[in-house]
Order: sequence, then structure tokens, then C-alpha cells
Amino acid sequence: MTINKIVEGDKMTLILEDRLDTTTAPQLENELKGSLCDIKELILDLNQLDYISSAGLRVLLAAQKQMTKQLGKMEIRNVNETVMEVFEITGFVDIIAIR
Amino acid sequence: MISIRHVRKEYPNVTPLKDINAEISRGEVISIIGPSGTGKSTLLRCINLLETPTSGEIYIDGQAITDPKCKVHLLRRKMGMVFQSFHLFHHMNIIENIMTGPVSLLGKSRQEAYEQGMELLRTVGLGDKALAYPDELSGGQKQRAAIARTLAMEPEIILFDEPTSALDPTMVGEVLSVIKTLARQGLTMMIVTHEMKFARDVSTRIFYMDQGEIYEDGTPEQIFDHPQRERTRQFIRRLKVFEIIIDSPDFDFIGIISQLEQFGRKHEMGQKNIYRIQNIFEELCMQTLVPRIGNELQMQLLVEYSEENNDTSMTIRYTGPAFHPLEEGDELSMLLVKGLCQSSTYRCDCSGAFKNELILKLKQD
Repeated sequence: MTINKIVEGDKMTLILEDRLDTTTAPQLENELKGSLCDIKELILDLNQLDYISSAGLRVLLAAQKQMTKQLGKMEIRNVNETVMEVFEITGFVDIIAIR
Repeated sequence: MISIRHVRKEYPNVTPLKDINAEISRGEVISIIGPSGTGKSTLLRCINLLETPTSGEIYIDGQAITDPKCKVHLLRRKMGMVFQSFHLFHHMNIIENIMTGPVSLLGKSRQEAYEQGMELLRTVGLGDKALAYPDELSGGQKQRAAIARTLAMEPEIILFDEPTSALDPTMVGEVLSVIKTLARQGLTMMIVTHEMKFARDVSTRIFYMDQGEIYEDGTPEQIFDHPQRERTRQFIRRLKVFEIIIDSPDFDFIGIISQLEQFGRKHEMGQKNIYRIQNIFEELCMQTLVPRIGNELQMQLLVEYSEENNDTSMTIRYTGPAFHPLEEGDELSMLLVKGLCQSSTYRCDCSGAFKNELILKLKQD
């Protein structure tokens, strides 16, 4: 998986590409761990993300919790049909802001 | 009428027939189906001794044709054979092709052979082609002429070796229609064919051949609607199968994901379907069974995709104590698996190598 990071003040955008699965979820987890502390707005752009599994969902859920804890917000953008199916099945559409 | 006992045919590098056994009664119409290269044509060629079996016996009306003392030419008169590529004599016109056998082998007069030949040509719809040469006929017409020539020898048994496989698709129907008419007349027939609908309609019995044997033998209804054995089922439903065994928790996950991708693309399953298979495999294997079973994990993954109706199913068999993942597995993972499937069946069988079996039928769009 490729992660492109853009930080503008307290806003961070992560552009995820390829697959977010068991093998790549730790990469995103590490990226978030080291970068979230001063962030008030986290945007995850999934335009280039083809596939997501529960391992990826858990990382997104943890990021959401962290952002809520530090009174920030998280938004997911540009979700393709396959990834959206996973969000819908697991109920993530109701707990994460998806635009 | 025909008794085949332990027939084996070996060539230097291949053994198309390993152990063939069958009893065929008068009036039966038997279609022989199965994947290419499984010995279907070799079996027919052994029955009329165009090939000599390496071992085993074949009896026609109680006489062993595999016995070196047998008068093969007399027994062969009982059998006609229709070949893929017609085998008409190109220097003779059609009626001469048909008359040659009866005149020279059955001792019929030319007039008698002519009248019978004309009647047969009318039966196969070629009454107006008697004076045409084979090269003037279409493939379907040539094959009908070849059938008429076979019938002229008044055989008791007709062997058809893929009679439509060399034909343009538009001509298949006319040949099958003639064979169907013959089947209704009570001739004993054995037909090697890839035309499944035809086999179902015309036959009294089906031999499904695979792995050098008659793998399954039954009525058309049994074979096509309720196949009992695994390979028959895969063939009938035009199933494409991906199978892999995992025998360690440190298996190559990325490699298997990549193989699933290749399998799906090869069979044009659609990318969404491929992702669903990968998702289910990942959730069940990586997120559930590996953490739960650990070093003792042995697992078989079977993905079956039907080209006929696009159905996809996954069978996961695994070791360890009884464990139903959809009920006892991680909540998020199982929510995802359930959402990607139409139905699921779990079974625990203590006698098998893999105690647990989970069969999932994937959702279709």
C-alpha cells in the first residue's frame, strides 16, 4: 500500500492506494500513531484504494476514536463501490463520516 | 450385448484407459461425456478394435473380440462407426460411397444397394445429393452422408466418435437431429459427445469418463441433475476450481491472494467477485483460524466458480476442535463474511482429515 500524506496546519490528508488488509494495516496504523497528536481534521482519501478488510476497518475505527478523544474530526472521501460495500455491510457508514 | 471387463490401454507416455468396466444392453443409447483427453474416443476405438487394449476383455454378444482367435471382421459387421472427420471417399459420389460396403462386404447386388442407399439418403435428408461428390457438400451434409453409409451396413451397434465436433456450429443441429431419429428406432448406440443438451435428450444412459475410468454411470437425470461424485459435479456445472492447502500459520498470504486474483481474472469472474473471495478468505483464515488454531492449523480452501450461472462457492475445511466461525469468530470479521454470502453451511465431522467444514455461497449482484 502507498500512503501519501499532506499536512496543512492542523489538517492532515492521507491518500491511500491499493489494498488495506492484514499485511498493510500495520503500515497505516504506524503512520497515524506518529502523526495524529496535533491534528484537528483528518481526511482519508480512498479514491485509489481498491480493497479493504476488517484489519483496515479496525485501524480506521481506532483513528476515529483518537480524533474524537482529541476533539477533532475524521472524514473519509472518494470511496469506490467495492470498499463502500464493506462499509455498508459492517455498519461503518453509520459511525464514520463518509463523503 | 457389449461387456467390457477391466480394459486398460497404455501408450508409452500416457494411459488413457486404466480400468474400464461396463455392461451395455441391446437398444441402449449411451452418451460418453467428460473432459478432453480422458479416453472417451480411445474406449470407442477399443470396442471396434481400431485400437487393441493392452489388457482386459471386450465381449460382443458373448464372443470375446479381444481373443486373438476371434474373427474380428465378422464381429465388426455388427458395428458401424461414425468419425469426427467423416472419412468419405472423395473420388466417389455420395451414393457410391454408400453402396461400396454393402456390395463388396455384404454381397448385395448393385441395384439392391442403390435402392437401399437412396432410401437411407432420404432418411438423412440428402435424397437430392446422391450424385454429388463429398467436396460439394457442407460439413453437416458430409456427416449425414457418413451416417447413411454406416447404416447401409445394417449394424446392430453404432459408435459415434464426436460426430459434430468438426462442424460449423450452424450445422450441428442437422446432424444431431438425424442421430436422435436413429435413437428412437431402437439401435444400440454409443456416442462420444460434448453436446450436453443432446446427450441429456437422446440417451438412456450416460458414462461420465474421467481419470481413465467410467467415473460415474447413470441415467441422464442422475448424471445431469444429481451427480454423486465430485468431478462429475464440477464438469456438469462447468465449475472452475481453485484449491489450495495451507499447512502452517506462516503461509504465504500475499501469494495466495495473488493466486486468487489470477484465478478470477483467468475465468473472467469480475473484479468485485474476486475481492469478495479475497475478503472472505482473509477474514476466515487470517483473522479467525490462524489466531485460534495457531501452529496446528491445516486448512483446505476450495473456490468453485460456475461458468454456467456465475455462482461462486467457497469451501473451507480445517483442523482443530469443532469451531463454527460464523457463530464464534470475531464479530467484525464474521459480520463482513456473512454480508458477502447468500448462505452458509457448517459441519463438523470427526472422521475426516479436516474435522470442520464451512461451505459459503457468495452473494451475486
